[in-house]
Amino acid sequence: MAEKKEQSMSNYRLPGMRGPRNRQEVEKPIEGKKTILRLVGYFSSERNVVLFLLLVVCLVVLASVYAPKLQSNAIDSISAMDFDGLPKILITMLAVYGIQSLGTFLQSRESAILSQRVVKRMREDLFDCVVNLPVKYIDSHSHGDIMSRMTNDVENISNTVSQSLSSLFSGVLTVFGTVAMMLYLCPPLALLSCTTVLLTLAATKMLSSAMRSFYRKRQVLLGRLNGTVEEMVTGYKTVVAYERQEAVIEEFNKTSEELTKAGIFAEILGGSMGPVMNVINNVGFVIIAAFGGYFAVNHVISIGVISAFIVYAKQFGRPIDEIAQIYGQIQTAVAGAERVFAIMDEPREDKSGDQVMDNAKGVITFKDVRFSYLPGQEVLHDFNLEVRAGHKIALVGATGSGKTTVVNLLMRFYDIDSGEILIDGVNIKDIDCKNLRENTAIVLQDTVLFADTVRNNLKYSRQEAEDREMEEAAKMSNCHDMILRLKDGYDTVLAGEGYMSQGQRQLLSIARAFLAQPKILILDEATSSVDTRTEKRIQDAMVKLMENRTSLIIAHRLSTIQDADFIVVMEQGRIIETGNHEELLKQQGKYYELYMTQFSGKAI
Amino acid sequence: MLKYLKKYWVYFLLAPLFMVGEVSMDLLQPRLMAVIVDEGVLGLSHGGAGDLGLVIRTGFQMVGLVLFGCFCGIMSGVFANLCSQKYGNDIRKDAFRKVMSFSLEQTDRFSTGSLITRVTNDITQVQNLLSQCIRGFVRTFLLFAGGILCMLTLNLSFGMVVACALPLILICVVFFIAKANPMFGILQEKLDKVNNVMQENVSGIRVVKAYVKEEYEKERFGAANGELVGTQLDVLLLFSYMTPIMNIILNVSVIAVIKVGALQVGNGTVTPGDVMAAVTYISQILNAVMRMTMIFQTVSRGVASGKRIKEVLVCEPSIQGGSFEGETKEKGKVEFKNVSFSYPGMGTEKVLDTINLTIHPGETFGILGSTGCGKSSLVNLIPRFYDVTEGSVLVDDVDVRDYTLNALRKKVAAALQKSEIFSASIRENIAWGDEAASEERIRQAASLAQAAEFIDSKAEGMDTWVTQGGHSLSGGQKQRLAIARAVLKNAEILIFDDTTSALDLKTEAALYEALRKEYAGVTKIIIAQRIASVKDADRIAVIENGRIMACGSHEELMENSGIYRDIYDSQLKR
Repeated sequence: MAEKKEQSMSNYRLPGMRGPRNRQEVEKPIEGKKTILRLVGYFSSERNVVLFLLLVVCLVVLASVYAPKLQSNAIDSISAMDFDGLPKILITMLAVYGIQSLGTFLQSRESAILSQRVVKRMREDLFDCVVNLPVKYIDSHSHGDIMSRMTNDVENISNTVSQSLSSLFSGVLTVFGTVAMMLYLCPPLALLSCTTVLLTLAATKMLSSAMRSFYRKRQVLLGRLNGTVEEMVTGYKTVVAYERQEAVIEEFNKTSEELTKAGIFAEILGGSMGPVMNVINNVGFVIIAAFGGYFAVNHVISIGVISAFIVYAKQFGRPIDEIAQIYGQIQTAVAGAERVFAIMDEPREDKSGDQVMDNAKGVITFKDVRFSYLPGQEVLHDFNLEVRAGHKIALVGATGSGKTTVVNLLMRFYDIDSGEILIDGVNIKDIDCKNLRENTAIVLQDTVLFADTVRNNLKYSRQEAEDREMEEAAKMSNCHDMILRLKDGYDTVLAGEGYMSQGQRQLLSIARAFLAQPKILILDEATSSVDTRTEKRIQDAMVKLMENRTSLIIAHRLSTIQDADFIVVMEQGRIIETGNHEELLKQQGKYYELYMTQFSGKAI
Repeated sequence: MLKYLKKYWVYFLLAPLFMVGEVSMDLLQPRLMAVIVDEGVLGLSHGGAGDLGLVIRTGFQMVGLVLFGCFCGIMSGVFANLCSQKYGNDIRKDAFRKVMSFSLEQTDRFSTGSLITRVTNDITQVQNLLSQCIRGFVRTFLLFAGGILCMLTLNLSFGMVVACALPLILICVVFFIAKANPMFGILQEKLDKVNNVMQENVSGIRVVKAYVKEEYEKERFGAANGELVGTQLDVLLLFSYMTPIMNIILNVSVIAVIKVGALQVGNGTVTPGDVMAAVTYISQILNAVMRMTMIFQTVSRGVASGKRIKEVLVCEPSIQGGSFEGETKEKGKVEFKNVSFSYPGMGTEKVLDTINLTIHPGETFGILGSTGCGKSSLVNLIPRFYDVTEGSVLVDDVDVRDYTLNALRKKVAAALQKSEIFSASIRENIAWGDEAASEERIRQAASLAQAAEFIDSKAEGMDTWVTQGGHSLSGGQKQRLAIARAVLKNAEILIFDDTTSALDLKTEAALYEALRKEYAGVTKIIIAQRIASVKDADRIAVIENGRIMACGSHEELMENSGIYRDIYDSQLKR
């Protein structure tokens, strides 16, 4: 029910408002039990710490049960005016308290270590999953939401585990011990006290189903909020340019209000667990007292047993109360864990293949390739193309004709629907994905640089490269001088979009690709923001670098591709013309048309 | 940040009040329990004869009392949550509003990851702080103070013990808080780092994969995560000393009370019952103290987070508008007067050097120049993405710094180099600059930007959903959406910062043709790489190393400017 509501809510939109964000991300209801079991699984590899912790908890529980007994002994001896025995009792007490404190210390220490180890591993596992997710998944999900799972959701788990693990242990231990003692003393009365347990379970069940949907909703909304901030801060320049701040703020506020509402409901429900449990405990206590009295009158049990029972009934209440106090926290953690596991359960990118292409010549063949991003909307139809080794091949065509798609497929970012792509006659599906990518360098339309030094950004493609090689690559891509002009040269840290123009960023990405010394180089509109003279210099430098290497260049600017060995003209996912510049001009087809509009058409 | 509480003072007062109710019920309940046990069941004063009727009567009384306590507890929770979450909500909204008023350079300085943490996680910490303060702290303090008070009323000699123990506890608390406080600040910083690494990886996933850097990134993330977890562990370990130390202090007090009690009982000044009561109160105080340590953790963390939020809240936008509302006679005139510019924090390296230039209303003005020569920086100064270092920029004869930001940016529509696409429908992406735009105008803008055709070819047309970063669109399609967005804005000055680079020339030519026809009166500033993109412009400026080297029509430049001819040659002659 709750899920259904959520779904209809996230598809709700006002006319003129921004649409629903992450509409693919309606959370599926996942069984809480399974999630908890899986969470417990994370502890199984820390078996030693867990066992030690259990042992310590036992010790602490024993000490805290024994200490009151000693106290009453001490008071008894005071009442009996037996002051000689007192010092001995007090010294024992001191020892027990010492053990208890030491135990508490070890307990919080071990649970801290345990929880942080588990959290560390969980984050690493999650990150491992994220970097190994198919590109498709990342492309179609809100980045901020994925980030929120990493920080907020995992942190909730961390807090819960570190704060409530030992309470949970000792609580369960106490309950079991008490129940055992009660059953031993008087089974019928013990069964009666189980009404408390039943009531507790019923209340928990009632509250928790309502609670869980609110907690889940809260985490989803927090993820959405993260998404808004991430997207708007990343695209801040556009937000400012269009004075969209108010609208963006309004959207943020809307999510924020929803989050607040969900949070208030979740927390109120979570917070009522304590008082409700208190009531149940006391009802249980009254029941025991009443029936105990009745049994006593009828001589079923002795007075001593009743008084013991009453002590136990009180003891029974404490751990249940404690667990109730942290129940909300546990729910948050479970909701968070669900979201974390949801990503972990996404199928990973298929990286299978065992062939290597270290000695490949670089013959690329596309055979009857069909591909669609969305089912039913084919982007490439029966695409056939052979690129000879060492050739410089260019793809041209109107925007949206499928050029970038070819790159996505060659890099195995997306999988083809049918047909095959071969390198030196080997299907790329059979080539080890890692090896394939190591031997192929790409420069993309949207440049990606990391908030790190220029040096580390360039060496990203080949860590072990020497500074000399790096500078060489930078010179080839015409950015060496530009880098030297930066405040700290190669050690300047790139932060944000800031002071570097798109063209300069492209030059850096090209240098990075050059440094990789790949078998196959792909430039996808890599110089679109670079001026033509600089581009020309880069191309001249490339000639030597790409000797005996295959390069694939995508560009609109014909000057970028004129001297390619082979030009492929694409239109709507099909190849319509091929040949070199002169041949294509002679054909007077589409390429000729393009050429005319770009150059001579208007008789410059 | 206290002022945010003002609005919720009723909740802020009601929550502790109800808490007092709950705690009082908690304190009363043991007495009734004692009556039930001692009189009802055990029948202590009737020689062992229990009284079932009394048990049931008192039982009902107790359940009633507890129900009332339950009601108070829930109400206290309701008000505490209303207060803290609404408080957090207000701060969150204000913090985000502040972020949205920052200049570009300021958002870069904070970094995306850190801003996200501050607006989400840090706020949660502050919320927790507040709700802990009004509920947990009040409850614990009541139990603590009640316990001490009751003990003092028992016998003053027990008070001596308390008087000795309390300062020790106080010292202990102060010591741990002083130690923990800076650690929580560090903790949030480490969280920023994790967020940043995560963000880079998610948005740069293609590059990570293309260079097979998964393992490297895992290591980088592992390091950031390791630091975060390490700091968290340090905090937890620090607090793991706190509870046992406090325990010891209080437990020794218990022993001292018994010892003192024994002496007093010997003297006949107190009864054994009093000693028992004193011990019970001390355990109550002990419980309170244990809870207090948990609360201190939340509070310290909340305080550290509060500081970070405050940094955002007090940070004044470095670019602020003037007071001029933008009513001018001229419409669409841009003038650069002795403009020099270097990026904040990047030293004295001049990106623009003494630029003097006037662009007239209705003019189509082209800008050419090599990568990094300062083309984008020049147009960035017009809508005040950055401010000049020297000189001034005038729009319609008024200094841009005199306009209100809103008025200035209304006059300027810029399609940026990086065509930012937001996760929304195509329609919403185009109407980004004018939410109220009619369907007709959106269509018009789309067809002018030559985007209508590809939009119509999509199954859902204008309603087609595009994902963040527009990965479902090609580069040229993204640019055309960005152009449509700019055109729709109906501004006096239209800036295309290299936004036609991914368009084929035919499309580009059609676009400029349409612009010339329908936006004749609008000043058009076009940065481009291709001569063909700008050759029909009224004037073209050639920029090199931050200076205007030449300015004139295509024909004039072909005649007079070596650089221009050079660029021309690089694009044509083979």
